[in-house]
Amino acid sequence: MHPMEGRPTDGDLFTRAQRGDKAAYEDIVRRYQDVAFRTAYVITGSSADAEDAAQEGFVKAYRALATFRTGAEPRPWLLRIVANEARNRARSAGRRHQLELRLAERFRPGDAAPSPEAAAVAAEDRSRLLAHVNGLSQEDRQVIASRYFLELSGEETAAALGIPEGTVKSRLSRALTRLRERVEESPRA
Amino acid sequence: MPEMAELERSLDLLREAIEWPGTPPLAGRITARIATPAPTPRAWFQSRWALAATVVLLAVAALIAYTPSRDAIAGWINLHTGITRVNHLPTPTPQPSGPLGKRLGLGDPTTLAAARAKVGWKVVVPASLGQPDEVYFQVDAPAGEVNLVYKSRPGMKVSGQTGVAVLITEVSGRVDTNYFGKMLGQGTTIEDVTVNGHKGWWISGEPHEFFFADANGNFRSETLRLATNTLVIDDNGTIIRIEGDLTRAQALEIAASLS
Repeated sequence: MHPMEGRPTDGDLFTRAQRGDKAAYEDIVRRYQDVAFRTAYVITGSSADAEDAAQEGFVKAYRALATFRTGAEPRPWLLRIVANEARNRARSAGRRHQLELRLAERFRPGDAAPSPEAAAVAAEDRSRLLAHVNGLSQEDRQVIASRYFLELSGEETAAALGIPEGTVKSRLSRALTRLRERVEESPRA
Repeated sequence: MPEMAELERSLDLLREAIEWPGTPPLAGRITARIATPAPTPRAWFQSRWALAATVVLLAVAALIAYTPSRDAIAGWINLHTGITRVNHLPTPTPQPSGPLGKRLGLGDPTTLAAARAKVGWKVVVPASLGQPDEVYFQVDAPAGEVNLVYKSRPGMKVSGQTGVAVLITEVSGRVDTNYFGKMLGQGTTIEDVTVNGHKGWWISGEPHEFFFADANGNFRSETLRLATNTLVIDDNGTIIRIEGDLTRAQALEIAASLS
């Protein structure tokens, strides 16, 4: 990166990479590796599989740069390729993992130093809500994680989950309804 | 019941508390991987980058200068297929093993009658080939897609790319929808043809690359594969793709007998 020259836009980087500039592609990977890896993790439920999928996906995307349309959004394009690799791995026999999202240590109830009661309650609530998300079906969990935890757009969620964009909204709405039912059925301790 | 808006706020708050596994240092590894030449066409491309770039410029210049090709390409971009002339072809996606429909991404096996019942347009069949041996319906396409498979027919070779004599793909829907993408290397030619008054393109020579686009016109990476000679007919909303190790005359005869 050359901070003095300002941050190149995604479009600039893609144009340069399409012309064979490998350094530009490395910048693209740096820019998107977190979201790509986490998306793959949401799909595979395994960090080892997510790592493989993200790596293969980025290599495959490089080889397919000629298919990237100028002016298109690069994030959904990349996420689709990485997510497709992730789905292939998730489907493979013997590689079935259940995604289990965890709270960072400082947010876990009881793990932190004694805290004011309000913070303790918030920690309990978070922990309980995440447990409910983890308890949802894979489909529901993936759409909620994509939209709320990875903050993917509708188009990106569609690309990541391999479903039409129009389906994302209805699937999310059903998943939220089921999550709300679970929250409601399990009153606070 | 908690309000939906409240639940969504709680999920937003949960985001900052989630612990993701650490992202591995991908950038360096990927740079190392792409520095290694991919199989054959890419090795040629990388070792002779300057020459290849020149070839592309010449090809582009030739396409601009040559009216039929320019028109054909403009037509493709505005209608259903993005077409790119490239100096090297990307590595095709390894085809999954298994039955034909899965291997080529044709969708689920069905019957002609069932496929016709599912779509809102007229699925045509070439009288010259008769009834298809297999029919597939691909639900992923924006308005559905029907694939007709002819495993073998007298006088027609079985294609090394598809494993069948003729593969016909029919899609229909909005005029501005992009269904397919094609990448043509230097050994592939594209030629304008007319079939029963409809515009068409005959793509022949060295195998080219073919992929499906999703409903947003984006590349579906899992479908990138090599394709042999292909005739595409475009009828403002319906597109028919005939692929096989065929001569131009054979492809045109099949197309002319569609009804």
